[in-house]
Amino acid sequence: MSNIALSVKNLRFRYRDRVGAALHGVSFTAAKGELLLIAGASGCGKTTLIRAINGLIPRSYKGEVEGQILINGQDVASLPLSRISQMVGTVLQDPERQILGTRVINEVAFGLENMGLPREEILERVDEALATLHIPHLRERETFLLSGGEKQKVALAGVLAMRPSILLLDEPLASLDPASAVETLDIVRQLADEGLTVLMVEHRVEDVLRIRPDRVLYMKDGAISYLGNVDGLVNVVDTSEIKLPAEMIIERERGAPPRAEIRFVSRRAGDGESASAPLVQFENVGFGYDPETAVLKDVAISIQKGDVIAVLGPNGAGKTTFVKHAIGLLKPKSGRVLVNGRDTREASVAEIASTLGYVFQSPSHMLFAPTVREELAFGPKNLKHKPDAIEAQVRESLETVNLADKEQDPPLSLSFGQQKRVSIAAILAMRSKILVMDEPTAGQDYKNYMNFMDAILQMPGFEAILFITHDIDLAAIYANRVILVADGRIQADGRPEQVLADKELLRRCRVIPTSLLDANLARLRLTGRFMRAEALANV
Amino acid sequence: MLVSWRYRERKSSFIQSFDPRAWVIFYLCFLFSTLFFWDVRFLLPFMLMALFTLLTSGVKWHEIRRAFLFIGAFITFFAILTFLTGRGGQEVYTQEHLIRQFVAPFSILGWTPTLDVTVERSFFAVSQFVRVFSIAVMTILIPYSLNPAHYGITFKGLGMSDKIAYAMDLTMRFIPTFGRDFQLTMDAQRARGYELEKVSGGLIEQVRRLGPVIVPVTIHAIIGSEDIIDAMDLRAFGVGPRTWLVQLTYKLRDRILIAVGCLVLFVSVVLAFSGLGGFWVPPELIELVK
Repeated sequence: MSNIALSVKNLRFRYRDRVGAALHGVSFTAAKGELLLIAGASGCGKTTLIRAINGLIPRSYKGEVEGQILINGQDVASLPLSRISQMVGTVLQDPERQILGTRVINEVAFGLENMGLPREEILERVDEALATLHIPHLRERETFLLSGGEKQKVALAGVLAMRPSILLLDEPLASLDPASAVETLDIVRQLADEGLTVLMVEHRVEDVLRIRPDRVLYMKDGAISYLGNVDGLVNVVDTSEIKLPAEMIIERERGAPPRAEIRFVSRRAGDGESASAPLVQFENVGFGYDPETAVLKDVAISIQKGDVIAVLGPNGAGKTTFVKHAIGLLKPKSGRVLVNGRDTREASVAEIASTLGYVFQSPSHMLFAPTVREELAFGPKNLKHKPDAIEAQVRESLETVNLADKEQDPPLSLSFGQQKRVSIAAILAMRSKILVMDEPTAGQDYKNYMNFMDAILQMPGFEAILFITHDIDLAAIYANRVILVADGRIQADGRPEQVLADKELLRRCRVIPTSLLDANLARLRLTGRFMRAEALANV
Repeated sequence: MLVSWRYRERKSSFIQSFDPRAWVIFYLCFLFSTLFFWDVRFLLPFMLMALFTLLTSGVKWHEIRRAFLFIGAFITFFAILTFLTGRGGQEVYTQEHLIRQFVAPFSILGWTPTLDVTVERSFFAVSQFVRVFSIAVMTILIPYSLNPAHYGITFKGLGMSDKIAYAMDLTMRFIPTFGRDFQLTMDAQRARGYELEKVSGGLIEQVRRLGPVIVPVTIHAIIGSEDIIDAMDLRAFGVGPRTWLVQLTYKLRDRILIAVGCLVLFVSVVLAFSGLGGFWVPPELIELVK
């Protein structure tokens, strides 16, 4: 009996409404029980490959297909989608796009109900899947009230309950906090060890390497650039495109000429300025969406001129609720929030927006204009900026997020990553004094987000920057202040070198140290501050 | 992702003590029966029934305050509008008896605004309010009382096919999802200095200026429905007859409720076809104003 679970032969695909091909002659096989990591920059064809294997191409996504895909020896072209879905389980990047059931038990049972299995068997399989993922306690919970990590596990349970022979995971870590990501990865390893073939698309390569994938498939421009074991990967990839473990990069960069270090604009108050007047001040703020549940508890904090703050914490800790108070979208139930000395209860959101620009997590909730250019001009126009100033602000913002060539494109026709960058540029163009970003790197590839973070930090206009992130390396590299939030409270607030050095505190806040953090902490006496891996190679 | 209405189990709730199919059947009987009448004497028992259901539902005022205030204001506005214009009731009464006439002390292009307060207009406004209010109360309670996990099987149990029943399930959850997306979009645009309250200009200009809210919400709804279709396809929806995990069984009280509902509808039909329950005003009042 063949050990090959999946065979892809010379696969080519072009989307109906696009000019170039998304896949060019992709060929590979995956053995039963193999864990194959698929990596590559945004737009390299990873998701298209996943869609071709699970049958959505060409059934839901029309276009020209060539080549062959065999699953357990059967050609998927000859099978209905319903049959493929019983052999291939797919977990999407965003579990919110996948979950249909109102309660966890209904969600996990959905596929089994569709297969018409007897009720007793459905319940047996549901409980088995929940037990495998260590989430039986969620069985009766409502799905839309789950945290991001819990939703991802429930989506996975719904797929596993159907007992597929191949599992496709499309960036399953994208919206997870570090601890949830580690838990998910451990489960994936366990499933592969039990004989399931797993194909995992992921930008967070460093995290996935922890669970020892059997091989790595590295894609570039719709073709396979590398297929082999993990050790060989470091020799073929551009480390600016893929985030590799810090020690790997340090080893590779050792002996190479030192790279020019990017200098960020200093935002600290000058000698003549008052350093004591905070830009934003939270005074014992308490908040809950309903009377029974407190989301923020007694939060007292201030944002000063010069701060570059990273807010870290687990899913559901209250981070987004915290920043929504700063712009006045939410008003405190107790205490008060002052922006530029003015109580947010007494100012409209639009008034606060001229001081504080807020980039939402999801770009799709704000994009509406026929062109990227008009989208970016919308905010400054609302704030009554002058036309020539708007022109300059739009141009500079587009360059910052590397989208100058998309100026006349409709924002809604861009990829998710590009839409996210448009949403950031739209706020940059408003030239608010304070920039607040909620998970700016979600859905972005490593190269893109490092580039625009570099560019934003070099922009002179902002007096303070605050970003929510699950990426500890981002906090270590860019922030001069780290706030840890858990259970609706500020657990720590200080310099990154202080806060991120406390391993016990990080563990309590479900923040897992990365290889870059460990490498920095090991060299902190020599460096005195956190640095990028490339810079550490010369220490 | 589809969100659900703010349902929760309430131990002392009268509505929740019934099978959801029985309640839906009773609700439909109630709805159609109410629509047969314009006579406020016939409508009052329906309003009492609705108020009884509301007071025994276990739903707290703070949960439904917004919905009630919105719908209450809507109903009151239209009842007053009908009263002021006298247009709505012209199909159910032909003759009006004037109580008092108010004439404006000015004219606009030769037309002098006049308000005729008549017995018929007054009673029609009251009947209209009682009728719509009764239906609204019963309707508002549905999302707070029906378990969202039971939507699909409820519609399946009412005789619909698997596909239609699941589509109904999704539709029921689309409304709160749309509300959430609308709020998120409003927040995102307000953070860019957009103020809905300040949208001005002619009708076309106003609609154009609503674009920043309407476009993202619409696009989100379309993308969301495509995601739902993909998610269903990827988990074998529509392969054949599906098993519904939840099982509903009628108890005696459910059968009684259905019987009561059918009886109410039957009596209403008989009364209506007997010419009873049409628009009514107290004859004494007409005598008084003559």
